[in-house]
Amino acid sequence: MRGLGLTYTTSIDRRPTLKARVKSLGRGGKQTRVVRALDNVDLDVEYGQVLGVIGSNGAGKSTLMRVIAGILPPSQGRVEVYGSVSTLLALGVGFNPNMSGRDNVFLGGLAAGMSREEIEKNFAEIAAFSELGDAIEAPMRTYSSGMFARLAFSVAATVRPDILIVDEALSTGDAKFKEKSLNRIKELRSDDRALILVSHAMATLRDVCNDVAWIHKGKVIQRGEPNLVIDAYQEFLQVGKSAAIDEDV
Amino acid sequence: MSAPLQIYEPFKAGLPPLRRYWRSLWSRRTFIAEFSRSELREQHFDSLFGQLWLILNPLLLSGVYYLLIIIIGGTSDSTRYVHLTSALFLFYLIANSLTGGVKSITAGQRLILNTAFPRIMLPLSAVVIAVFKFLPTLVVFLLIRVIVGLPFTWQMLWAIPVLGIAILLALGLAITISCVNVYFRDISSFLPYLTRTTLYLSPILYEASALKPNIRALEVFNPLFPILDSWSRAVVHGQTPPTGSLLQALAWAIGIFIIGTYFFLSREREFAVRL
Repeated sequence: MRGLGLTYTTSIDRRPTLKARVKSLGRGGKQTRVVRALDNVDLDVEYGQVLGVIGSNGAGKSTLMRVIAGILPPSQGRVEVYGSVSTLLALGVGFNPNMSGRDNVFLGGLAAGMSREEIEKNFAEIAAFSELGDAIEAPMRTYSSGMFARLAFSVAATVRPDILIVDEALSTGDAKFKEKSLNRIKELRSDDRALILVSHAMATLRDVCNDVAWIHKGKVIQRGEPNLVIDAYQEFLQVGKSAAIDEDV
Repeated sequence: MSAPLQIYEPFKAGLPPLRRYWRSLWSRRTFIAEFSRSELREQHFDSLFGQLWLILNPLLLSGVYYLLIIIIGGTSDSTRYVHLTSALFLFYLIANSLTGGVKSITAGQRLILNTAFPRIMLPLSAVVIAVFKFLPTLVVFLLIRVIVGLPFTWQMLWAIPVLGIAILLALGLAITISCVNVYFRDISSFLPYLTRTTLYLSPILYEASALKPNIRALEVFNPLFPILDSWSRAVVHGQTPPTGSLLQALAWAIGIFIIGTYFFLSREREFAVRL
């Protein structure tokens, strides 16, 4: 085991989004909006930790996850990741809705760098865990959002990576599946693995995590003992926007 | 436990470490194979009529164009028809790479936003799909050639390097256009007109030797011209293509491939933000 585990030091991430993009070639003049999605974020996660990430919508949680997974390049700072990351986030599978669940699982896995044999070995377990039955052979456009989430979570949890990122994948499942996946997450907790859970389910996070980071407007507001941070966050939600946090520096 | 270290840092416009990029691309070659296969399966090319359509479509097209030639030109012979089909089939290899490639990045949005992988795999797969669609038409062409009774010569083997150049050009074009489409989405709607124009500007409905010298001089700017001309000379007439044409074709293919790939690789880390 490496003592260091996993270290990220991301700083200011400027993210210019081209929401309104150049529609016609001749018109010229791009409309751009600069979004500072992550602002000087410093985070260390070590193996054996289960980090919960909380924050309101648009706080930059998913962006942070994507930076960690190497999907988005940081525009400042540096990310160091030791080990394999399961990058199958909430919408990881199903990039082609016309293909069957099976094809999508295979393609997603292959794109993530797994070998055919590895996926074949895991596929039965994925299918069984997702409880999709015959639907796994049906095109994914026919899936309900719950079925989608089931498959995505099954893939992410079956692959057993060194670092597992679960980005709100549990939110659309029914109660039974939620419980099942929660148990799986608990199973996956081990000394040689780091888990990062993005969620709005505070009770779950209190239960599962041993560390919680609260992100607001791209900044880490508080980090540490789950109960403490979650209490502070919930208090903040009720109080509304406190001036100190809302200030854009 | 082995824990490969990965570092993500901000990048400036420039190439990623090529050796590592290549390794990560090579380790995902099964993705390209699997992606092409499931894409073809989705388009029903694993069924009998799906495959038949693959052959029937260019065959019918060549029939229509042949009719056009007879109506406009008045006369024609069977060699002309062989030339037309051979050139049309190769043209469709490149055109299919373009139409498949143009949306490869934007259609792969879900995958791109959730997985880190060399993005170039997507246009690459589009070209592989186009090659798979091309192969059965090659068989049809050879059948037509036998039926018409043109002699087979050793010089026809020149078709192999010409095909290689054509695939390299297709690859370069697919990579370029997939990248451009990320920034200008309307390229994909413009593309049919582009391919149609190129179809008429290339020696498909006519033979290169039939062109007036002043028009011929302008064809230096058409990358497809030397390829289709060399292809027709090799597979239809059984001649050695002129070295000048081959070199010109090669220069175009390598040029577009290198420029397109550079453009793509230096931009691809930004795609996730632009989608």
